[in-house]
Amino acid sequence: MNAARVLLAAVFAHGAAAAADSPDWDVARLMQELAAVKSSKARFVERRYVGILTSPRESSGTLLYVAPDRVEKRTLSPRIESVLLERDELTIETEQPKRRRTLRLDEVPAVGVFVESIRSTLAGDLATLKRVFDISLDGDERQWRLVLKPTDANMQELVSEIRIHGRGSSIGSIDYLEPNGDRSTMTITRDAP
Amino acid sequence: MTAAQRWALGAWIALLALAAWVVARTTFTTDVSAFLPRSPTPEQQVLVEQLREGVVSRLVLIALEGAPPAALGQASRTMAAELRKQESLVSVDNGDGTGVAADRDFLWRHRYLLSPAMEPGRFSAAGLRERLQETLRLLDSPAGSLVRRTVPNDPTGELLRILERLEPPRKPVLREGVWFSRDGRRALLLAQTRAPGYEIGAQEHALALIEQAFSRATAGQAKLLLSGPGVFATRTRSAVRADALRLSLAATVLVAGLLLAVYRSGRLLALGMVPIASGALAGIAAVSLGFGSVHGITLGFGVTLIGEGVDYAIYLFTQAAAGGASSAAFDRIWPTLRLGVATSICGFSAMLFSGFTGLAQLGLFSIVGLLVAVAVTRWVLPGMLPTTLAAPIVGAAGPLAMAAARHAPALRYPTLLVVAFAAALVALRGERLWARDLASLSPVPRADQMLDEQMRADLGAPDVRFLVVVHARDAEAALRASEAIGRGLDKAVAAGFVDGYESPADYLPSRQTQEARREALPEPAQLRANLAVAVAGLPYRDGVFEPFLADAAAARSMAPVERSQMQGTRLALRVDSLLIRRDGDWTAMLPLRNVTDAEGVAAHLAAPSGASAVLLDLKRESDRLYRSYRAQALAYSLFGAAAIGLLLIASLRSARRVLAVLAPLVAAVLVTTAALALIAESLSIFHLVGLLLVVAIGSNYSLLFERRAGSEDERRRTVVSLVLANATTVIGFGLLAFSRVPVLHDIGVTVGMGTVLALAFSAILGRRHEHP
Repeated sequence: MNAARVLLAAVFAHGAAAAADSPDWDVARLMQELAAVKSSKARFVERRYVGILTSPRESSGTLLYVAPDRVEKRTLSPRIESVLLERDELTIETEQPKRRRTLRLDEVPAVGVFVESIRSTLAGDLATLKRVFDISLDGDERQWRLVLKPTDANMQELVSEIRIHGRGSSIGSIDYLEPNGDRSTMTITRDAP
Repeated sequence: MTAAQRWALGAWIALLALAAWVVARTTFTTDVSAFLPRSPTPEQQVLVEQLREGVVSRLVLIALEGAPPAALGQASRTMAAELRKQESLVSVDNGDGTGVAADRDFLWRHRYLLSPAMEPGRFSAAGLRERLQETLRLLDSPAGSLVRRTVPNDPTGELLRILERLEPPRKPVLREGVWFSRDGRRALLLAQTRAPGYEIGAQEHALALIEQAFSRATAGQAKLLLSGPGVFATRTRSAVRADALRLSLAATVLVAGLLLAVYRSGRLLALGMVPIASGALAGIAAVSLGFGSVHGITLGFGVTLIGEGVDYAIYLFTQAAAGGASSAAFDRIWPTLRLGVATSICGFSAMLFSGFTGLAQLGLFSIVGLLVAVAVTRWVLPGMLPTTLAAPIVGAAGPLAMAAARHAPALRYPTLLVVAFAAALVALRGERLWARDLASLSPVPRADQMLDEQMRADLGAPDVRFLVVVHARDAEAALRASEAIGRGLDKAVAAGFVDGYESPADYLPSRQTQEARREALPEPAQLRANLAVAVAGLPYRDGVFEPFLADAAAARSMAPVERSQMQGTRLALRVDSLLIRRDGDWTAMLPLRNVTDAEGVAAHLAAPSGASAVLLDLKRESDRLYRSYRAQALAYSLFGAAAIGLLLIASLRSARRVLAVLAPLVAAVLVTTAALALIAESLSIFHLVGLLLVVAIGSNYSLLFERRAGSEDERRRTVVSLVLANATTVIGFGLLAFSRVPVLHDIGVTVGMGTVLALAFSAILGRRHEHP
């Protein structure tokens, strides 16, 4: 056995040991499972804790996802409004006042961090997530928590951390934490497929 | 040399010296607007001035294409960063967000003076409560996290109200963080030069800077496209310069070669150039004295004088060769030539009265040049001729030319058929024969105009057709009038007559309005009390609006915003392009978007006393302008043609002879017009001027053809000299057809084709002369 073989064996041994620590489950695997979901429909309840307000603002509605890049968030209460993300366009529609606005994501970089946290997670697009965030994952397949921290300094001013909780291939909640202490929590209940 | 010839020589030398002195002191311009019509109404004057020197004239549209978007975006950023350091550029925008912060900061600081929503009662308890509820809804909305941080200072959302009002309805597409064309193939930048568009030297410098920045920034094989008034001006100038030089050089070489081949004498060649050179010098001097400066395009026409002026020398040489030094033969054709010159001058004088400075200059240049050239040929040149003169060409080509001339009348009926067909075509086209819009007069090539339109569309620059123009005695009055007009326009918008408008008062409200907005802010104690009532029961935390109370209190002692405070923002550029000082008066312009009912809009316009407002339809106005110029040009042309007819009747005193002279000219004009209609789709005023020249030059041919020659030999010489003269004319004008400058091109094509036809038709349709 020469030196090279020893080295090779050592590397393989290390890899085997790492795999043994959390058998066949990691970020890549989670992303694969998420990517396997081609469409989903869910209800959400969102609570925003805003520093300048004394009580949290609650809203609720439905979420619709169609792989790979269509996400629609339709708020039904307290007011009807919808946010539709399709490819690289964001359409915001409100009922009162009746308004509809379409933005290209390029035009509003600030929105990018919100968009990618949802879209790339749902699509299991690890490459994009890694480009925009520092990622860490804890828990196991049955109950996991993905923590995303924006790498861009400008984005960090808007969002300091995004926490996504889930089970298997479905997402249970998303928390957005802002540097000034404001935060919002969106609880998601998936409709039976 | 006789005493008379010595006198003529002396006078000629004195004239040349004088002309040379004038020319040496002449300023030469290449101002593109010389070939735009002079504008009759004050509103059109404003527009033409804006085109010449306003902010509009200072814009340079820049596009990068031919590389992947990422590379183009990078190049756009690098170029913009470098160009922003340049003194000669006031601003460079590529959509990367530079300047947004300065604008926003300015608006934020002055929001209580600038917000259109600041009206009495806005900050009453009831008004504030309504606003705070609205803000609460906004906080719930998807945009909530973006506005949250401004709420403590601006709970009523004044900044948003301002931004909503100022937001352009169509913005360029952003890609890679910078402006791109809709199809994503071009990265776009917009620069504004410090110098106005007509200062070509400064424009050239700015363009060179942009090209340097591009060559340093670019990656790969990306291409740079430039457009805008300054770009057009410099390009036209270099095209005019290059064409004038290139074409006169080519014409000189070709004509000289032709003459050398005909006369086989360097001396005759040199002498042949004497009338042209004298004519050109005198022509430039006359234009300089008459107009104060000489346009580059006028110089370009020096070329045509080579073609026409050399004719007289050819007639002289060819006739003189027969009779030795006495040039008696030339004396015999002189009355006919004199008549030819007179008809040419009738034709050119029509141009003299033209509304285009450029064409009027051309007319004067041609008349003086022609008179001097012919006078030099008649009185100075014969004294310089060698005692023996040979024209071998007459012997060589004579029989051929004579045979052609003799057989030409056989083509009479086919020719009449062609002429009838041409006449029918022209009659059928009717009004559609003529180009419809002012753009056909632009010195800018069509392809460049189209690129410009495309780039403007991609940049989201509104296609301004309707414009309200306001005049007032000072800036404040103009702004107040703009606000009053704006209130009327708001009603027109509500009624659906127009989609929207832009006003200088959007960026810089009048002092009066700003003071009224300031008055709408309650005293600090009152505001605090109102707020306390308004906020009761709403979930805002206590004391969260302290920053708002402080800002509102500070705004109460703020002086109204003035233009000078906006320096360094992009808003200042907008104000400067919409609010202009003119001869002590002030003019405000309000561009309208998408007018569906111009009369409905006009009915809502009411200027306050001390100001006037007009709704201008640029398209209709410029079409009307163009039609009036076309009508004018047609009228002068007909006047010129009538003058030629009268002149011929007075000189020839025979209806038959007048008909024989005019028929070939009318036929040539009809066939040329029909051919142009088929080739060029529609005719411009420049084509019309060309037709006039065809009549002026062609009349020489038909007159000489019509003249009964003293002998068969003289006849032969006449025919040969006509062919030669026509060849030189075709060379001179034909070369103009290769010019990239539309005015030169159009006239060149028309005259080149028309004069050949005039000669041919003179032979075919002219009177038959039989010699035993």
